[in-house]
Amino acid sequence: MNKILLCCAAGMSTSMVVQRMEKAAKDQGIELEIKAIGIEEFQQEIDKYDCCLLGPQIKYKLADFKPIADSLNKPISVINSMDYGMLNGAKILNDTLKLIQA
Amino acid sequence: MSSFSETLFGVIENRISPVAGRLSSQRHVIAIRDGFIASMPFLIVGSFMLLFAHPPFAANSQWAFAQWWLGMADRYAEQIMMPYNMTMGIMALYIASAIAYNLAQGYKMNGFMAASLSLMAFLVVAAPQTNKGLPVMSLGGEGIFTAIMVALFSTELMHFLQKHNIGFKLPEQVPPKIRQSFDLLIPIIAIFLTLFPLSLWIQHQFHMLLPQAIMSIFAPIISASDSLPAILIAVLLCHLLWFAGIHGAVIVGGILQAFWLTNLGINQQDLTAGQPVTHVFIEPFWQFFIVIGGSGSTMGLVLLYLRSRSAHLRTIGKLSIIPGMFNINEPVIFGSPVVMNPLLFIPFICAPLVNATIAYTATRTELVNHVISLAPWTTPAPIGAAWSTGWDFRAIILVAVLVGISTLIYYPFFRMYERQLLQQERETLTAAESA
Repeated sequence: MNKILLCCAAGMSTSMVVQRMEKAAKDQGIELEIKAIGIEEFQQEIDKYDCCLLGPQIKYKLADFKPIADSLNKPISVINSMDYGMLNGAKILNDTLKLIQA
Repeated sequence: MSSFSETLFGVIENRISPVAGRLSSQRHVIAIRDGFIASMPFLIVGSFMLLFAHPPFAANSQWAFAQWWLGMADRYAEQIMMPYNMTMGIMALYIASAIAYNLAQGYKMNGFMAASLSLMAFLVVAAPQTNKGLPVMSLGGEGIFTAIMVALFSTELMHFLQKHNIGFKLPEQVPPKIRQSFDLLIPIIAIFLTLFPLSLWIQHQFHMLLPQAIMSIFAPIISASDSLPAILIAVLLCHLLWFAGIHGAVIVGGILQAFWLTNLGINQQDLTAGQPVTHVFIEPFWQFFIVIGGSGSTMGLVLLYLRSRSAHLRTIGKLSIIPGMFNINEPVIFGSPVVMNPLLFIPFICAPLVNATIAYTATRTELVNHVISLAPWTTPAPIGAAWSTGWDFRAIILVAVLVGISTLIYYPFFRMYERQLLQQERETLTAAESA
C-alpha cells in the first residue's frame, strides 16, 4: 500500500488533484491511500505517510519541511506546476511512485 | 522579454517571495490566520441573521411579502438578533481563544488550556463585571486587536513558564489529568499580576477599557485601511506574490482579516443603530468584486479559454470553469500557466486593480450597498455579492459588469498567448507527421 500526503495552503485545490490521482490509481490497479491537508497539519501527519507532495503555490515551504521529512526519511517534493494546473493525476501518481521507490 | 520585466520578475522572485514565504511560515502569523479561519463559521451564521433583521425593502413597500417580513423583523427583533449577538456581537471571544489554541499547537502545548487562559485574560481586560453583568460593548469588533494581543501574550506567558519549568511540582504518583489541572494555576496568577493591573491603570488614567484604548491607537490605521490606495496596494501585493507562484491571498488576506472584521463590526453596529453604513473594505468586497473566480479575477480569462482555438487552453477552460465558479483557480494559474508568464502578467495584475477601483467607486456613490454580512469565500460571486450586501440585487449586475470588463482586459493578451500556443501546437503536429 502506498501512502501519499498532499499539502497545500488550505487543502482545497489539492483535494481536486487527490480525486484525479485516486482515479488514475484505480485504473492502473494500484493500491493507494492519499490525503490532502493544509500546511498547518504537516507536522502531525507526515509520520503516517510514505512521502509528501507540496502544491506549487506553497513551494516556499519546502525549505521548512524538508529537514523534518529528511529526519523521518520521507521523500518530499513540489508537484510540477503544469501537471498540477492540468490536474494530471496519472502523471503526478507515476512521479510519486518513482519518488517512493527511489 | 524586455530588461524591465526581467528586473521586475527578478525582484518578485528574489526579494518579495522569500520575505512573504518567511512571513507566512512565522508561528504567530499562522496562529492569527488560523484563529480567524476557525472563528469564521460563527461569524458567517451570525451575520446571516442580521440580514433577516433588516429586510431589503422600504418601510412603505406595497408588496405583501415585504410587508410580512418587515412586520416580523420588527416584532421579533430581539429573538432574530440573538444568534447575531451571540456570535458576531461577541466575536473577539472566539478569536481570542482560537488564536491561543493555534499558537499553543504550534508550540506543541495543550491547546485547550491555552484557549481557556486566553479567554479568561481577554474577559478580564475587555469585560470587567459591572452590576452583575458582563459588558459586551468591547467583545465585538472593538475587541479584535485586543483579542489578538491578549491571545499571543497569554500563550507566550504559558510557554515561557513551561519552558523554564515554573509551576507546581506534584509527585510522580499524581495522575496526569490532575497534574494538568494544576499546570494552569501559575499562568492564571501571572495574568492577574500583569494584564489586570495594566487594565486597572488604563481605566483609572484614561477612563476607558483596554480595548477602547487600543482602538484609539489603531483608529488612524483602520480608517486608512478603508481607502482606495490601501485597497490597491493590498491587491497589487497579493497578485505580485501569486505571479511568483506563491499563494498571495493566504498571506495578504491573513494580515487584512483583523481590519476586515473591524470594518464589518462598525458597519453592523451602524446598521443596527439606524446610522448610515460607511465602511467598504471587508472580505466579501475583496472576494466577490475584486477577485471574481479567484485571484487575478480569472473568471474572464476562463470564459475566453472555453472558446479558444488552442487545444491546451480549451482543456484548461473546461477544467477550470466549475472550480472557478466557487473561486478556486489553481488550474488556470498553474495550467495556463499564469505564474511567471510575461504575456499574462499585465492583465493578471490589472484586472483586479480595475475591479477594485470600479467597485470602490460604485459602493462609495451608493450604486451598490456596503457589505454588511459575511458569506463563505467559496460562494459563487454573484450570489456572494448579493448576500453580503444585504440582498442588494444591483450587486449582481456589478459582478456581471466587472466580469465583462476583466474579459476585455484579458482579451488582447489572451489572443497573443493563444497565437503563440497555436504555433507550438502546429509545430508539434508537423513534427509528429514527418516522424
